[in-house]
Amino acid sequence: MSAYFLGIDIGAAGSKAVILCGQKIVVSIVLPSGTNYATTASQVKTDALKQAGLKESDIIASAATGIGGRNAGVSSYHGVIICDARGVNLTFPSARTIIDIGGQGSQVITMDEAGRVINFNVSEICATGSARLLQVLARILQVNMDDIGPLSMKATNPSNFSTSCTVFLETEVITRISQGDKPEDILAGIHRSIADKISGMSRGVALEKDVVIIGGGALDIGLVKAIEDKLQVNALVPENPRIIAALGAAVMAQEQQQAR
Amino acid sequence: MLNEASKLYFAGIDIGSTMSKAVIVDAAGVMKAYVVGPTGAEHRRRANKVMEDVMQKACITLDEVAYIISTGYGRVNVPFADKQVTELTCHAKGVSALFPDVRTAIDIGGQDAKVLKIKNGRLTDFLTNDKCAAGTGRFLEVAAETLGLELNEMGRISLQTDTPVKINSLCTIFAQQEIIARLSEGQALPDILAGVYIAVTTRVVKLARQLKVEPPVVFTGGVAKNVGMVKAMQTVLAIPILVPEEPLITGALGAAILARDRAFQLVQDGTLQLKKKELSEAYIDFVEKNR
Repeated sequence: MSAYFLGIDIGAAGSKAVILCGQKIVVSIVLPSGTNYATTASQVKTDALKQAGLKESDIIASAATGIGGRNAGVSSYHGVIICDARGVNLTFPSARTIIDIGGQGSQVITMDEAGRVINFNVSEICATGSARLLQVLARILQVNMDDIGPLSMKATNPSNFSTSCTVFLETEVITRISQGDKPEDILAGIHRSIADKISGMSRGVALEKDVVIIGGGALDIGLVKAIEDKLQVNALVPENPRIIAALGAAVMAQEQQQAR
Repeated sequence: MLNEASKLYFAGIDIGSTMSKAVIVDAAGVMKAYVVGPTGAEHRRRANKVMEDVMQKACITLDEVAYIISTGYGRVNVPFADKQVTELTCHAKGVSALFPDVRTAIDIGGQDAKVLKIKNGRLTDFLTNDKCAAGTGRFLEVAAETLGLELNEMGRISLQTDTPVKINSLCTIFAQQEIIARLSEGQALPDILAGVYIAVTTRVVKLARQLKVEPPVVFTGGVAKNVGMVKAMQTVLAIPILVPEEPLITGALGAAILARDRAFQLVQDGTLQLKKKELSEAYIDFVEKNR
């Protein structure tokens, strides 16, 4: 009988579940978090089991993480920093630095070859350091979230902004639109603002290679490029960057089982 | 131009990010008239308009105004001003004129917040926030928009409760989401609104505490017009708060008084002649006080 482990990450924007078997991801699920974390947690778990064709009793151990992870109805909880590190370590063993751009903030983490955290910095809860800024602007520019990255890559003259607050940026972006700035230039300018914020956060943390970018923000190729340019590194991005903390939680469940 | 004895009045124009204000004072520094209006996109036109309006209200003409100082975010766009002075200096002057003993002034405007430490009418220290919408009037505007309420209405409704809901998010964007979540949980509107005021106040008080909050504390700016904010400020600081009758005009008032001081300085330098009796007496008073 195979040994299955479940990891659940209830983030500010998205909730994720991963079922791990050995070192392989069996299934992964991503849903919007909504306002009732307990309901969402049970939903991602049910969906994951269903998609994997498993019963609850097939899961040997579970662990949760994320802002709402304590409401996930799972007895074991681990911080996002540790889960990020474990999840990245399994995905890219060569990784030593993680930049996680989440739904309401971001974090920079350094770790060793075993995925143990060495140092980290977390942003305050601020829309600008998170993927939320892009969501707000996508609405103003009437662009789909998925199209932001490719569109921004066409920028020839990135816009400059005088503020970094998302609320003030909303107003400034509207002014720029009225002045004739192109959407791609506006987006590229915004990517630079976020990259500046991330770069400020990486001060005091030695950025060793390989650098991995995860979280919802990593889905935006334009943002990844802007961070690479700002930090002068080439970054690795997992195929599904949103599920890494959930994967890490599953790894933690596995580790604790083995330690028993 | 300045040596005409009929010039008995002095003006201060404050072009803020949201509101424009103008004040006229006489030679004794006493306010004769003030006006307040939205700034809009055209700063220059607005500056002309508030100046015209305030003169009309004071029943004077431009020929009777000896000196004009502009201040605020749009102060460079007041072409008829004799001098530009920063809002911090003007604000400290205006607040001290109304409350001579003031030690701490907290000003929350449409998109910034300032904390001033004042001693004997002089600015001794300050901190500002214009980087983040949290802790500014913008936070309240976003909340009002989210709830579909008028700003004044929001203040009144919030007074109905003493059990504010806790709004955890400092960031305006996330607080907006939190307000919606609290509503969907069935929390009472007055409790949510009171929570919104506490959230804004907490952010500004955090700034103020870096400079030590000493009484008397004066609360000004457009946001101080909101009864919900005044109550929240008293609650968070746990001391009585002084609020001017018109909390928007302290910067313009300070600018007008500084315009008078500046004009008298020119008199001392010999650039301005005095003939009228009331002006002479105010001038003698000024020289003696500043000796």
